[in-house]
Amino acid sequence: MLLQLNNIFKWVNSGGQRIFLLKDISLTVEEGEFISVMGPSGSGKSTLLNVIGMLDGFDEGEYHFLDESVHSIKEKHRANLYKEYIGFVFQSYHLLDELTVKENLEMPLLYKKFKGSERKAMVADMLDRFNIVGKKDLFPAQLSGGQQQLVGIARALISNPKLILADEPTGNLNSAQGEEIMGLFKQLNDEGVTIIQVTHSEKNASHGSRIINLLDGRMI
Amino acid sequence: MLNLFLKIATRYLLKNKLYSFINIFGLAIGIASFVLIMLYVNYEKSYDKFDGSENVYRVFMDYLEGGEYVPGDANAYIVSGPTLKEEFPEIESFVRFRRIRNLVVMHNNTPYDGIVGSLADSEYFDVFDRGLVKGDQRTALNEPYSVVLSTAIAQKLFGDGNPIGQSIKIAGDDSVTFTITGVMDNSNRNTHIKNDLLVSFKTFHTWKIFENDWKFTWNQNEYYTYIKVAPNTDAKLLNQKVMAFVPEGFEFKEKHHMEPIEDIHLHSNKPYEAEANGSASSVKLLAIIAFITLVLSWINYMNLSTSKSLERAKEIGIRKVVGARRPQLIWQFLLESALINCIAIILAIMAVYILLPSFNRFIGQNLSFATVPLKSLAPYFFILIAGVSLAAFYPAFVLSKYNPTKVLKGKVQTSKNSLDFRKGLIVCQFIATIVLLVGTFVANKQINYLKNRPIGADLNQVIALNGQVLDRAYDSIFYQDFDVLLEEMKRNPYIADATSARTYPGDNFSNMNSNLGLTFPDGHTDETHIWYNYGARPDYFNLMGMNFVAGDTFLQTTEKRSNNVVVNEEMARFMGIIDMDALVGKTIKFWGQDWTVSGIVKDYNHLGMKSAVVPTIIRHDRNTQNVLIKLDEKAITMTGVDKALGKLERIWHQVFPVSTYNYTFLDQKFEALFNEDRKFAKAFQIFTLLAILIASLGLFGLTSYTCIQRKKEIGVRKVNGATITQILQLLNQDFIKWVGLAFVVAIPISWFAMHTWLEGFAYKTTISWWVFALAGFTALAIALLTVSWQSFKAATTNPVESLRDE
Ligand SMILES: Nc1ncnc2c1ncn2[C@@H]1O[C@H](COP(=O)(O)OP(=O)(O)O)[C@@H](O)[C@H]1O
Ligand SMILES: [Mg+2]
Repeated sequence: MLLQLNNIFKWVNSGGQRIFLLKDISLTVEEGEFISVMGPSGSGKSTLLNVIGMLDGFDEGEYHFLDESVHSIKEKHRANLYKEYIGFVFQSYHLLDELTVKENLEMPLLYKKFKGSERKAMVADMLDRFNIVGKKDLFPAQLSGGQQQLVGIARALISNPKLILADEPTGNLNSAQGEEIMGLFKQLNDEGVTIIQVTHSEKNASHGSRIINLLDGRMI
Repeated sequence: MLNLFLKIATRYLLKNKLYSFINIFGLAIGIASFVLIMLYVNYEKSYDKFDGSENVYRVFMDYLEGGEYVPGDANAYIVSGPTLKEEFPEIESFVRFRRIRNLVVMHNNTPYDGIVGSLADSEYFDVFDRGLVKGDQRTALNEPYSVVLSTAIAQKLFGDGNPIGQSIKIAGDDSVTFTITGVMDNSNRNTHIKNDLLVSFKTFHTWKIFENDWKFTWNQNEYYTYIKVAPNTDAKLLNQKVMAFVPEGFEFKEKHHMEPIEDIHLHSNKPYEAEANGSASSVKLLAIIAFITLVLSWINYMNLSTSKSLERAKEIGIRKVVGARRPQLIWQFLLESALINCIAIILAIMAVYILLPSFNRFIGQNLSFATVPLKSLAPYFFILIAGVSLAAFYPAFVLSKYNPTKVLKGKVQTSKNSLDFRKGLIVCQFIATIVLLVGTFVANKQINYLKNRPIGADLNQVIALNGQVLDRAYDSIFYQDFDVLLEEMKRNPYIADATSARTYPGDNFSNMNSNLGLTFPDGHTDETHIWYNYGARPDYFNLMGMNFVAGDTFLQTTEKRSNNVVVNEEMARFMGIIDMDALVGKTIKFWGQDWTVSGIVKDYNHLGMKSAVVPTIIRHDRNTQNVLIKLDEKAITMTGVDKALGKLERIWHQVFPVSTYNYTFLDQKFEALFNEDRKFAKAFQIFTLLAILIASLGLFGLTSYTCIQRKKEIGVRKVNGATITQILQLLNQDFIKWVGLAFVVAIPISWFAMHTWLEGFAYKTTISWWVFALAGFTALAIALLTVSWQSFKAATTNPVESLRDE
């Protein structure tokens, strides 16, 4: 088991009212799974992903990640946990505009106490693996959307996470590029990386091993 | 259209209360400081500016000092004025002032003291061009025993009645009465030579209190002399001629020298000035600080407005999409700027009105908008308007430049240039801050240095009493009574010791004689260096806690004065003496007389700490100018001092029933000699604080801008594992770099400025390296505190917020 959510509730208080963003979510994810989260806009997909990624908290329920109880550990420890095990991929890539491809890839490593030589090797490895060696000195603005997302995924993978969380990774891409990214995910999954992706497309979802449907913050 | 813009502007200001407050507040502080300082600067510059003042000059004497002619003192000879007028047709008229010392006016048998009066020539009203409120200025000072009063003194003596034709007496000579022939209104006059009362110069010939002085020879040189030259006279040329001119019978190695009366207050600092003058360098420094503060507040305004503009990008985009053209947008934002600036100016003027009384008390002046001619404020007003427009135009320009399509997609990217420009502004602010900080530290260090520097005398618990005995002549009976007074005082348990002297440390030049011509023990006669002397009783040195390097005080003889003198070390050095002990008992000559040196007193600072020790001879004399009292240990408490003071006054009036009475604490008077500098240091401090406050506001603005700009980046980095500390480091390291850069630039500027300022002191503190370090660290600390407030907020924001995909 990689992670387990037990009866998770998340809400916000607005104008004296309690608005539920997640309602009674229970979910177990095994290592090596490829899960697609689906549902209409505003149904809580991103919220769920953020909770799983520990970027966002929740108000009720339990969350176990590997052997740790996320609901009861300290903020700092939690940060270390996701730093080590989780990689994020975003719809709008979120590459840093002022940094080159190479520097964008290196950035997460700077926060993880790798030596300069190690970082270099890991970045070179990643550039190689994604076939973007020729683009290493370009800035994000000089890449197409698909290429940028490629760099985004490479950055998520660079410190060998167990879990990739991807929120509509193909949302800004045309179908051909989207297809490429999905192929890449499939390949990563085959190599043993667990993937949870949010998607609107049935076709993309079909790449996965399991589909979770959300409606108004509830699993259906 | 205008209405709509105003409505939007007002709403916007109200919606962003913190931003509006910071912005308006910062501007208001800057403008208010500027106006306050400029009122002061203008006041200092307005001294002796009156109708025709450009043609009025003061004549003073240059002395030969070490082979070179240098300005000697502020006075000229009694015959200087008439002789020069005779010789040079360019000189239309002259006025001499002879100060009347210890002036006490008697009216209806009541004594009035504390009045500043002079003998003055009848052309006074011609030269100074002042009309009389009452009386005829053509004749007012023509006849002997005529007196002109200021309105304030006339009011004090006669109330609302008409003083013209009334008579008064002046203590010292009971046999004559003076007739009041005029009342002059000089309440608003700003001059270095102040007079409450003028006595016609012709009185001089017969008036008993100047009995020995009235001979018109080249021997009398205590006359402030002012000349008025014909319009369009080449003053430089005339001055050259005056300096080259050697009058008949004039045997001194001295020259007459003219200086414009308008320059005296700020540029002249000679011995025997009519009053302590201002300092041009202090005024200049303050003016510079005023400009810096003002510019800082504008920089701030630009920074804040542009940083805030990001939030308005959407509004601008929409406006452009619906057809607004750039000039229209610029107008809109200019109008907004105008609104903010108007509010700030109004606030600033209100603040000035509220703060003016405290500021006046602080600088010891009486500034108001009324005393400053509005005309002279015009250039400052122009600067203000120009600066405000410039400051307003910049944000309007930047804001209106946004590309609508990008803006609406949420991709606000202001150009790198404008960001660099703003960083440059911040660096400038830091340079100013660090320079001001160094200035404050050095000024305070210098004041402390002067305060703690040993004076060479113990002024603690020493009081100088002086009063005018009104019913006595200075005859032998008076001197006997004076001895009785001292004996009485010594017997009092609260009083440790009592003596008398002509002057004392802290009394500055007043009451000291300046002299030229001295024959050393080795027979060499020096005619070119000025030295000083005064008289004192033998126990003066002991009471003042002065120490002897060799010898001792005057040998007490049966007589009350002797030919014994004590010289200070500086005097001994001047005479080329190396072995001090050998000087004791030696004979020196001056005033056509032999004097025996009984002792060499260790150098002490008679003239305050701003001036170096001058060569001084102290003669054995029973002078009655000042009674010096050392209070006993018993009187160390507040009530003890009060009791002692009460007792002193009782004894004084017992011995001299008809007299005035004044007293001064010596330590206070001594310290008052650098009051100007202390005030300056304090003003420096206040305006430094304000400048720092303004700079912090600006930094606050820029940080919030940077944090918004880098919101996404911060989010991405956090998601990729950056900790809060790492984010803080990332955000703050830029500011540290800027402070570092500012520091490097500020060091030479501040060193040079303070080095120049210290030149005005005889004793200078060192500008130590730690002053710079402290200023740098203070600036850095302030910057980090200001910045961290915002960057901490940014660093702790949940990245989910900043990375949400639209
Ligand atoms: N911090 C929040 N405060 C209030 N409402 C929120 C907050 N975060 C998300 N929501 C709301 O919760 C709902 C679910 O959001 P989200 O998870 O982003 O939906 P999805 O990704 O499925 O489109 C939306 O209606 C959104 O407006
Ligand atoms: Mg979403």
